[in-house]
Amino acid sequence: MKNFAYSRPARLDDATDAARQENTQIIAGGTTMVDLMKIGVLAPDALVDISGLSALEGYEVGTNRMRFGALAKMSTVADDQAVIDGFPALSQSLWKAASPQLRHAATLGGNILQRTRCPYFRDTAYKQCNKRNPGSGCAALDGGVTNLHAIFGGSEACVAMYPGDLAQTLVAFDAEVTLEGPGGTRTIPFDRLHVLPAESPEIETVLEPGEIVTEIAMPVVPAMINSMYLKARDRESYAFASASAAVGVEMDGDTVRDVRIGLGGVASVPWRATAAEDSLKGGPLTEETAREAGRIAFKDAEPLEGSAYKIPLGADVVAGALLTVKSRMGDQ
Amino acid sequence: MAQTINTRVTRTDARRKVTGTATYAADVMPAGMLHGSLVCSAIAVGTVSSIDTSAAEAEPGVVAVYTHETLPDYKTVKGFYAGGPGSASFWPMEGTEIRYAGQPVAYVVAETAAAARRGADLVDVTYEEGESRIHMTPEDSFVVGAGEDSDGMVLTKGDIQAGLDAAAQSVDMTFTTPFQHHNPMEMFSATAEWRGDRLTVWMPSQSVRTLRAGIAGAYGLPETSVRVISPFVGGAFGSKAGITPYTMLTIAAAKGVGAPVRLIVTRPQMFTVATFRPESEQKFRLAADANGKLTAFEHIEIAQTSQFDNVVNPGTHYTRAMYACPNIHTEQRLSRSDTNTGGFMRAPNEMQTFWGLESAMDELAWKLQMDPVELRRVNDTKTHPTAEVPFSSRSLMESYDAVANGFGWADRGRDIGSMTDGDWLVGYGCATATYPTNILASNARVRMQATGGAYVELAAHDVGTGTYTIMAQIAAARLGLPVKAVDVVMGEADMPVAPISGGSTTAASAGSAVHDACVKIGQQVAARVSGMSDGPLSGIDASRITLDDGVLRGPEGQSQSLQEALSMLPEGEIEMIGEFRHPALTDELIAATFNGGYGTAGPVTPEFAMFAFGAEMAEVRIHKYTHEIRVPRLHGAFAAGTWLNRKTAHSQLMGGMVWGIGSALHEVTEVDQPRGRFLNANIAEYLVPVNADVREVRVQMLEERDDYVNPLGVKGIGELGIVGTAAAIGNAVYHATGQRLTSLPIRMSDLLRS
Ligand SMILES: Cc1cc2nc3c(=O)[nH]c(=O)nc-3n(C[C@H](O)[C@H](O)[C@H](O)COP(=O)(O)OP(=O)(O)OC[C@H]3O[C@@H](n4cnc5c(N)ncnc54)[C@H](O)[C@@H]3O)c2cc1C
Ligand code: SF4
Repeated sequence: MKNFAYSRPARLDDATDAARQENTQIIAGGTTMVDLMKIGVLAPDALVDISGLSALEGYEVGTNRMRFGALAKMSTVADDQAVIDGFPALSQSLWKAASPQLRHAATLGGNILQRTRCPYFRDTAYKQCNKRNPGSGCAALDGGVTNLHAIFGGSEACVAMYPGDLAQTLVAFDAEVTLEGPGGTRTIPFDRLHVLPAESPEIETVLEPGEIVTEIAMPVVPAMINSMYLKARDRESYAFASASAAVGVEMDGDTVRDVRIGLGGVASVPWRATAAEDSLKGGPLTEETAREAGRIAFKDAEPLEGSAYKIPLGADVVAGALLTVKSRMGDQ
Repeated sequence: MAQTINTRVTRTDARRKVTGTATYAADVMPAGMLHGSLVCSAIAVGTVSSIDTSAAEAEPGVVAVYTHETLPDYKTVKGFYAGGPGSASFWPMEGTEIRYAGQPVAYVVAETAAAARRGADLVDVTYEEGESRIHMTPEDSFVVGAGEDSDGMVLTKGDIQAGLDAAAQSVDMTFTTPFQHHNPMEMFSATAEWRGDRLTVWMPSQSVRTLRAGIAGAYGLPETSVRVISPFVGGAFGSKAGITPYTMLTIAAAKGVGAPVRLIVTRPQMFTVATFRPESEQKFRLAADANGKLTAFEHIEIAQTSQFDNVVNPGTHYTRAMYACPNIHTEQRLSRSDTNTGGFMRAPNEMQTFWGLESAMDELAWKLQMDPVELRRVNDTKTHPTAEVPFSSRSLMESYDAVANGFGWADRGRDIGSMTDGDWLVGYGCATATYPTNILASNARVRMQATGGAYVELAAHDVGTGTYTIMAQIAAARLGLPVKAVDVVMGEADMPVAPISGGSTTAASAGSAVHDACVKIGQQVAARVSGMSDGPLSGIDASRITLDDGVLRGPEGQSQSLQEALSMLPEGEIEMIGEFRHPALTDELIAATFNGGYGTAGPVTPEFAMFAFGAEMAEVRIHKYTHEIRVPRLHGAFAAGTWLNRKTAHSQLMGGMVWGIGSALHEVTEVDQPRGRFLNANIAEYLVPVNADVREVRVQMLEERDDYVNPLGVKGIGELGIVGTAAAIGNAVYHATGQRLTSLPIRMSDLLRS
């Protein structure tokens, strides 16, 4: 790790100002940032620690809207009773991520901006990685191991998977993010925050230099109550998703009025299964329709040799999440 | 006196460990110490064309940057598989040659550890890259020492074809196991300090005497000029056994800079600078008559090895010991690829091979429509099938019956997929565990004082298993002292000879030497007090006086406590050197151990075959939607002679079983074939079980008596627990799903692919 300058501004405008400088990175909980610096993937000249911006720690679970400051801790939100009751998928997608130690340190803002776990990205001994070193090629696509890679959204330049859990819930429930930058404040839909790798996988978000995520918010909808996050992984805890689904359902009698499906562990950016949602809306939720929704969700997947298992797995996870939510509704 | 053997005794060093006062090798910081850091090769095969050290040298705090051209007085030792103490025969940094990814290519010394790491990052190496291949190619395998075959690398008894022809059912299956790395919690480290021609090395080690002999030999120093100190070891599992380049590089660097140097190897570097479990292929052809009696048993093991060593961990020697069969053929084969030399990792011969054997036995049982436990019973034997000597003791079926009872084996659904619980498919599986009883010569010094204290000293190691505690127990039991009155000191090469802590030998071999020293104390004190003019034992023939639980007893019930007898001696204390020399140990084997080598006898001697046995049963659940494979219950029953400490022994067996869950479902060092590198060299991506993966693990410890293995009747247990676990889990997966998965680890992706 090379030496770097460090500052911890107390005011948002100082932070955006500092963060705008050349080769400068923002650090919140540091669980992604320090990790990548230690293994030499990131080598900023300066770090702007935003953890002193205490106004960004708060959150509010209202009746019409939920708002979460970017510095709210993963563990705090996951354990909040109003979140557990009102929006189980959100609590679960945080609670099933990482480990207790990491969740205590990590922030929601940092979580949505975490970087891929592509092993070639993380080991600088590999010369080829377009994301780490633009124009160098892609070791994964050049005969590498691809079992952790995306089956949606990849390009010829990069097939890295977006690894986070929270983002699937956010994308499924129409979240918005507020960004504060040198040029002012803007609020954008969460599904516009991340960008597909296309030819420039080194660009992962629409954030401008110096822009800080200040808030994540979403409208409260009935489907939140009957929601869940189902995560399939090789060990019971402390593992990234092989496939996951954030789902929420609102029924009108036997008819699906609203349904949300976000897919994790399978795409290069947070992914929403809109076609699968549409297939269910206005019809019944049964074993058959749930399984069909799972199939539709993965119809257009483009697997690599190592990641082909994610298609049947992902389809079953979607079906399983829908049916589990349905059966819990029956219990209420 | 309370019972001290076969009871639960808390580790004597537990408090020191949890309070951080146990001094591990890397905790020692000699005055003026500098810090080392390795630069490791980015390519797998080729040569170093140039190394630019200028940026590193310019970095504040950096003292020296050594390359193959500039490192002074760097010495190497012969590799283990060529009869030496080294972990591999190829030594990096002797020249420009690169033979595996991650081999050291430069060594930075700096004033702080951070400066050393920064310096290492700044060393710019350019390479000439060659073609590499990291996976083995079983098609190109070969037999080691073919033709002579003195070590039984190929063995044939009877006629396999005849056995296959006579069979009612047979299986012909190939199983594979991946590269795995030990990942002990304590990092590899070495601290070297020269004072003139005297060298001290602090390093976590499983064999301080091997280290000292090797280092002294390399530098042409008398062994008395080299001190090797390893008081505590934070897990080793085979990874801290041989002499590796990072040690010899640190010794040379310390000489070069003229100051003590400490190197702590990073976690990613730990995947390449030392040994690992080589990948393997296990081919089995088993056949049985309608009653399940085996008519043919063929096992061909193909294991990966480096380009420069023949790593032979002969698993076939142990599979062929397992079941009675008139027709047996086994072959031990190797296949080369471009890695460092692999080595020993917990049950190095047994984990892989019993995964294959016990899965194949399960398949055979299904084909025969037989209870898999009964298939083992029908083929159980009291005689080693190929060596044709009796087992010194063998409680295999006792283990099966005990574990089956507690587990509820009889309640299992008889058909595949017949058990469910909500969204989970449920399956039960079982497998055999075994581990050879290896024997090594050992000495130990024991001193006892009339004031009631004792001191035990030997060059053995506590690799985290509880050795300090059991050595104290062994002495306490004989001398009649409380365990805490016995001080045990270990882990230095100058101490009385004790063997490598490997092959599950320490308790049995080194423990027997401690026992012998105590017996001799009894004899010596008896001789002295029987010659005195008064006292309860006065005038009794000393050879008829025995010592047990601290009491000397004459033939007619005369008795005196050892402590009282000792107080009659003017010096008030006595010290004896104990020796363990099993009849199977030849003079050459004893000499090998005394010279710092591995003079192992057993498990088969001309009289007996010595093995510990056990049986494991697993309940596996597979989720209908997530396809996650979980192990809610894992039970094992084991018999391994005398249990010295029921608490630490239980932990060893349980730890082995937990690691077995990892081997079955999680652990694999992934390989990037095009670039010849290990891909997940860190413990975020190298999955091992977390707490939530380890649910009910039950260990039953059966009583067994074995007077042949050693005077204590102890067999090794450190590795036994892992041996059957993977197959028990794999067999349970089959019972639940009907999918016979033949490659470890078994992941949800495998269930979905097949
Ligand atoms: C071993 C391990 C296992 C893990 N497992 C999981 C898992 O299973 N599921 C999962 O979802 N995550 C997992 N994670 C990732 C973890 O959740 C993230 O590291 C964490 O959420 C990041 O939050 P942070 O506050 O520490 O971010 P930091 O490390 O401080 O920052 C992360 C990134 O976001 C940027 N950033 C942070 N805050 C802001 C902001 N407000 N505005 C603009 N940019 C910002 C930083 O510049 C940096 O690029 C794991 C991490 C580790 C190390
Ligand atoms: S998939 Fe993307 S991150 Fe991974 S090696 Fe290729 S370019 Fe790099």
